[in-house]
Formats: sequence, C-alpha cells, structure tokens
Amino acid sequence: MSVVYVALPIALLLGAAGMYACVRCIWDGQYEDLESPPVRILIDDQKTLAQPKNLFPK
Amino acid sequence: MVLFEQTIEVDSPPVESAAMACPVRRDQVVSRPCVHCGQSTETLASEDAQRVFCCSGCRSAYELIHGWGLDEFYALREQLRPASASAVVAGPDRYVQFDEPAFLGNSTPRVQADGTCLAELAVAGLHCAACAWLIENVSASTPGWLSARVRMSDHTVRIVFDPRQTKLSAIAQLMGRMGYQLSPLDRSRDQHIQQESKRLLVQIAIAGFLATNSMWIAVALYAGEFTGVVYEYRYFLGLMGTTLGTLAVAGPGRTFFVGAIASLKSRTPHMDLPIAVGLFVGTVVGIINAIRGSGHIFFDSLAALVFLLLIGRWIQFRQQQRAARAVDLMLRITPRHATRLTEDGRTELVLAENLQHGQRIRIAPGECVAADGVIVVGATTIDRSLLTGESIPVAGNCGDLVSAGTINITAPIDVEVQAVGRESRIGRVMQSVESAAADKTPIVQLADRIGGVFVVVVMALAALTFVLWLPTGLGEATSHATSLLIVACPCALALATPLAIAVGLGRAAKCNVLIRDGQSLQKLSSGGRMWLDKTGTLTEGRQRVSTLVGAHYGLQLAASIECKCVHPVASAIVREAELLKLTLIDSAVLDKAIPGGVVGTVDGQHVAIGNIGFIRSQEIAIDEDWIAEIEFLLVRGEAPLLIAIDGVVCTLLGLSDPLRKGARETIAKLTRDGWAIGILSGDHAEIVSRVGQQLGIRAEDCRGGLTPEEKLEVVRASRRDSTVVMIGDGANDAAALAAADVGIAVRGGAEVSLQAAPVFVSSGRLTTIHNLVVGARRTNRVIYAMFAASLSYNILAVALAMAGWISPLAAALLMPISSVSVLAIVLGARTFKESNG
Repeated sequence: MSVVYVALPIALLLGAAGMYACVRCIWDGQYEDLESPPVRILIDDQKTLAQPKNLFPK
Repeated sequence: MVLFEQTIEVDSPPVESAAMACPVRRDQVVSRPCVHCGQSTETLASEDAQRVFCCSGCRSAYELIHGWGLDEFYALREQLRPASASAVVAGPDRYVQFDEPAFLGNSTPRVQADGTCLAELAVAGLHCAACAWLIENVSASTPGWLSARVRMSDHTVRIVFDPRQTKLSAIAQLMGRMGYQLSPLDRSRDQHIQQESKRLLVQIAIAGFLATNSMWIAVALYAGEFTGVVYEYRYFLGLMGTTLGTLAVAGPGRTFFVGAIASLKSRTPHMDLPIAVGLFVGTVVGIINAIRGSGHIFFDSLAALVFLLLIGRWIQFRQQQRAARAVDLMLRITPRHATRLTEDGRTELVLAENLQHGQRIRIAPGECVAADGVIVVGATTIDRSLLTGESIPVAGNCGDLVSAGTINITAPIDVEVQAVGRESRIGRVMQSVESAAADKTPIVQLADRIGGVFVVVVMALAALTFVLWLPTGLGEATSHATSLLIVACPCALALATPLAIAVGLGRAAKCNVLIRDGQSLQKLSSGGRMWLDKTGTLTEGRQRVSTLVGAHYGLQLAASIECKCVHPVASAIVREAELLKLTLIDSAVLDKAIPGGVVGTVDGQHVAIGNIGFIRSQEIAIDEDWIAEIEFLLVRGEAPLLIAIDGVVCTLLGLSDPLRKGARETIAKLTRDGWAIGILSGDHAEIVSRVGQQLGIRAEDCRGGLTPEEKLEVVRASRRDSTVVMIGDGANDAAALAAADVGIAVRGGAEVSLQAAPVFVSSGRLTTIHNLVVGARRTNRVIYAMFAASLSYNILAVALAMAGWISPLAAALLMPISSVSVLAIVLGARTFKESNG
C-alpha cells in the first residue's frame, strides 16, 4: 500500500498538467466564441461555394 | 421567415366580377434568366423578374435559401464570377477610408512577422453561422485575402491579408457587396468583459481540477472507513485532500470571501455570506482535524462547493454580458464618421461627434446620415424606418430636415449640420429609451431574497447547535456546527436559478424568441395588462385592395401611373392589377404626387387617384351613389380610394390591412390565460376599433390616433395597476417598449429591437407570443420546484446535523444528490414547446 505515497503525487501532477493545458487554452481565447466553431466544422464540408483559386489570375 | 411567408402567400382578395370595361390584352411572353440557376426561361412580361424559375426544383431551392435568409448566396455568386473580380481591387471612394488609420482607430491592421496584416473589425448583417461560412469561404478564394475568422458571439471578424496584393478597403468593399458592412471596433469595453470571462473560466478550471481530485481521495477514505484502513495511510490521504481543498478555497474560492466582505460592509445579507462562513469554518476545522489525525474533514465538499458555485457565477455572468452586448450593437447604428465639406470645396473625413453646428457634410447614396440637419444641395429619397418605423422611403429636397440614423438612398446630398450626437433626434430617442429602462424598479432576484432569510436562519441554527452540544465538549460542538454550515450551504439554490433561466432562454431561442434577461421570463409568468401595436403587429402592415367597385379600366389606368411611384398604396394598386391580369400601359405619365393622391396622364386621358379630399381638391364631383359606397366601405373599416378619369369618378377601391394569421386565436388564448389585451395604435380610431372588434377586444381598450409619446404615457399609467407587456415594432414603439415591464418586439431587426425590448420574436408570428407566455410560466414553475427541492434537502441536512448524525459520508452523499436532482429537474422539465416550423 505504500505505493500510494508515490502514485498519489504522480496522479496529481498529471492532473495538474491537464489543468495547466486547459488554463493555457482559456487565456489563448479558445473558449471565447462557443457559437461558430461547432457549426463551422459541419459546414466546411460543403464545397458548393468554394471556387477554384485559378478563377482569379494573379 | 416572415419575408418567405409573404412571398408565397397568394390569397386572392374578394373581387366583384363586374363587367370588364376594357378588353384585357394577353401578356407578352419574354425570356428571362431563372433566378436560381440562370437558365433562360419564358415568362409573362408582367411577372416579377425576381420570381422567374425554370422548374419547380429551382423554385424550391430558391425558397429554401430565401427562407433561411441566405439571399446573399446569389450576390456572392455574382461576386465570384471572374468578370467582376477585377472590380474588387479598385474600390470606390466609399471604402477608401478603410485604409486610413484615423478612421480605423483600434481596428488599424497590425503588421505581423511574415509581412501579412491582421485587422479586427465589427461586422453588421450577420444572421447565422452560414454567414460566417460565406465570409470565410470568400476569403479563401480572393487573392491577397488570406483568411477571415468570424466570431458570431460578438459579431466581429479577424481579417488577415497581404498588403502587397490587396487593401483593407477592397476587402471592405467585397464584404459590402455581399451584404455585410464592416466598421471599426471600439474594443475598450469588450476587452474588459473578455478578461473577466477568461478569469472566471480559469478559476473554474482550477476549482474543477481540485474538486475532482479531492473527490477521488475522498472515495479512498470512505472506502477505508468500511474496510478499516491503516491509520498511517488515512492520515496521509486526509492531509493530501485537505491540501487540495484548502487550495480550492484560498484560490478560486476567494471570490466568495470578497463578496461576503462587501455584503458585510453594505449590511445586506447575501448568499456569499453563509458560503464564505461555511468555507472558512470548514477549512479551519478541516486543517486542524487533518493535522490532529481525527475528526471530520470536509475537503471534498469544500472543493466541490467552490467548483459548482463558480459555474453558477459564470452562467450569470454570460447572461449579463449578452444583455450588455445587445445594447452595444445598437450604438453602431449611427455612423461615427462623416464626410465634411471644407470652405474651399474639398471633402475630409471627420469624427461625427466633432461636427459643429452650421458645418456642411456630404452624404453619399447608401450612407447613413451622421447628424441632424437641413438639406442644402441635392434631392433624394430617405429611408427613415429606423426612426419612425415608416416602411416607405420619403422624398428629401432642399430645405428639408434630415435626421441622424436615417439612410440616404438615391442621390448624394449636402447637409448643413444642426444637431449632433445626444442632441440629435435619434440621440434623444436613445435617451428616452435609456431613462425608460432606468425607471424600472430593480427586481431583487428570488434566490437573493430567499438567500437573505437563509443566511440569518443558518447562522442562528449553527450557533444554536454549538450551544446545544457544548455540554458534551468543545470539539464535538465545533464539529457539529461546522457540519451544519457545510451541508446547509445553498449550493443547489445558488446554482439552480441561473441555470434554470439559462436553460429557459436557450430553449426560447430555439423557438425563435430572443430574450435579453431572465427577469422578463419571471414577469411574463403571471397575467397582467398586454398592449399591442396594430400596424405590423396585429395586421400584416401591408395595404391591400380588398374591395373594388366600378370599372376595371380605372384600376388599369391607375396601376399604370402608380407603378411609377413608391408608396404602399401604389404598390397595393399595382399588385391588385397584376392579380386581375390587367396589362400596365407603358405610356402612362406620373404628373404629380402629393399627400392624398396622384395625378397622371395615360394616352391623353387625365387620371386622378386619391382619397375623398384629394379628389374634391381636383374639383371633381362625387355623386350620391359613390358617397353611399364610400360610407359602406368606411363602416367595414376600409380606407376608400377613388379613381377619376377626365374628371369623372369611375372606380372605387377599398384598402385595408389584413389581420395576421393566428391573431384571433392568439388573442383568445392570451385572454384565457389572464391577460387583459388592448391595442395602442397611431392609426385612425375607427379603424383601430374595427380591428379590435374583429379580434374580440373590448372597445374601451382599443385606443387609436396615439403619438409615440401618448403610447408611452398609456404604458406608464397602466404600470401603476399591474404588470404591463407592450408588443410592437422595435423601431417605432421603442420608448413604449422600454417603459413597459416587458417589451416584446415582433418586427424590425433583432439588433435594433433588443435595445428597447428585452424580448424579440424573430419568427414574427403572433402565435409564438402565446408559446412564450406559456414557456415563461413553466420556467417559473421549474424554479419554484427547485427551490422546494433544494430547501427540503437543506432542512433535512440541518436537522441531521443538529442531531449530530451527519457523518462525513452522509455529508458527501447529500451534497451531490441535492445538486444532481436539482439539475435533473431543470434539464428534464418541458418549458418551451419547440415551434412547429
């Protein structure tokens, strides 16, 4: 049972790493707009309007 | 969806089959492109060019896209054609300002490391995520415009472009052609809100981590209670758990101590107070017990408490933010910049607020007027719908007054400035909206009211428990009093109200009802007084010829002339002529259009169309028979319109504004639900009482001929007696909507309406209002049910704690069970009916 002295701190450290990643995401602004990204992933698949780029000669 | 309904609805009006006075020629067949696919299609010349379809498949596709409000699709398609691509590079003058830092302010593009520029701008005209999709797709296929990222939540777009290939002005112009107007961002407020939102989220993340991990440790400990864990391990686990719990209280939980101290300073009992006391005592006792290695430790409850309460906080914060944003969007109505004419005839771009009385500004067609003033050069038509609710543009000539916030439509004009900003007419409207909103008595939320009582009761009970258990020893007494403070913590209570309201608002939004704040739901849940606007709310707001007496020939000539002018009566006449398949005569000339009627010439025949006063002023006699017919029309609530050819009256039209679908049923249902319904209208009193009669509204509640100020007065007066709900047009009735307890806007843009009215029905259907009232009542019931549930849990817990029966296990079970059951009640309750289409 004495493994708990090692396992518990390691588990907490792993959890803390996850929390740190989450906090980084928040400060990065990933949670600011919760409305468009879920829809964006659905509609990007429709290619009806995506025109080939060569329509606009540079 | 409203537009969609109107276009496909082809009710034929009751037309008397009088003998045709003239032979009707068949329509010429012409070839036109299909609106959807562009294929050349043969149609009748009289058909609307915007409604030509080659097949029913194209028609349904168009109606779908149109119904979704995605008409921009067609503009976008035009835009993407190679021929028009070059136009994007050379932008017209209007958009040149997008290259000037003075205009852009905070939105000035920042040059990034790789030479590209990044700019954030506000976008007007976003409807739904599909608009974001359009914009982002267009950016991908435009050279030089590297990417666009649309944020629906605050209507902004982040544009990355290559300054060597394109300019921001070109992008702004392209967006303008798609129907989205860019404008510089005023970010100071937004940034503050975003910081606050991020801070709260970070706190939730930290508290969540601490709470979940301390719970695992708690599970180990509780399991140990039954299996007889070795003291050494129990001590270690207890110490670790207490560390996590203490971190949760000291870190994210600090907010509650701040709130509690503020509540002590202002001497108002607040929910934060018992929470803070519970947290503090629990932590202190927990730390002491953990170090001593005996007694109850509450670390898992403490961490979970902080976590759940913070989530409640965040939900509340997001609601407030939504409300604030709605108001923010309004302020973008009037332009912040104007084109000033200097003495030597040059033009310069200045901030609208810096304009001085007497200066001249130039307003290009399509631009919004920046200040009140007098037109000094030019003649145009002006769209005043924002200010007055008039759906028809009015003429603006030299010497006419124009107001800020109106839109110049046809020709450029020069305006001499008279009033700017808050002094302007729209500024004063905004002020009246603001003061009407400030008039409202602040509603103390139910949770806070109960919380106030709760605080006192819990504190008293904790003290009582301490005193009662004191004879058995100080340690025992402290332990039981602490247990009570922790288990009685109104966690479910604090979480439930914001959650129930958030769920209610979310479900309402799915039924096309946007609600700005939760208070409106509460107010709508009981009956009271409901005032409705007539034009556009109860009726369709669109004139229609409902009666035709006399020769069709008169109607044909009238329509030929009227099609040359823009007016609701004119379009009603033209529409009627089209329905009767009368051919319009091209040689018709519109001679004069004045209020009351128009005069024109068709093939040498002099035609006068107008109301009785107008026809008499043209020195045309109206004989007895016509007078009798006119009186008959008036009795039926229709507005008479006479057509005279060469000085002889030949046709009489009765115009009316038909009731909206479902108006009668909705009124009946609302009346049954305990609402006293009345009409407030600017229209003639007879017409209003006629409409009221049709709807079964009591005659004394139908008030016609009111100015917006009088409407406001009526609303204020009736607020003294009961809850007042005002339903009307977002722009026209803004002041009355804001003064009512709950304003419901049923027409006009969502952005404009939500400023004045906390509720906006975007489906534009009256039946939705009944759904809203029912949903509000149910939501309120759910909130009460939750109060009952969480209070009974608390009473049970308090009783157990006072009896000294609260073991750590009981506390650990009671806390989550109460929260989970409350959440289940909220999410499981059926509040808003999903709208059927």
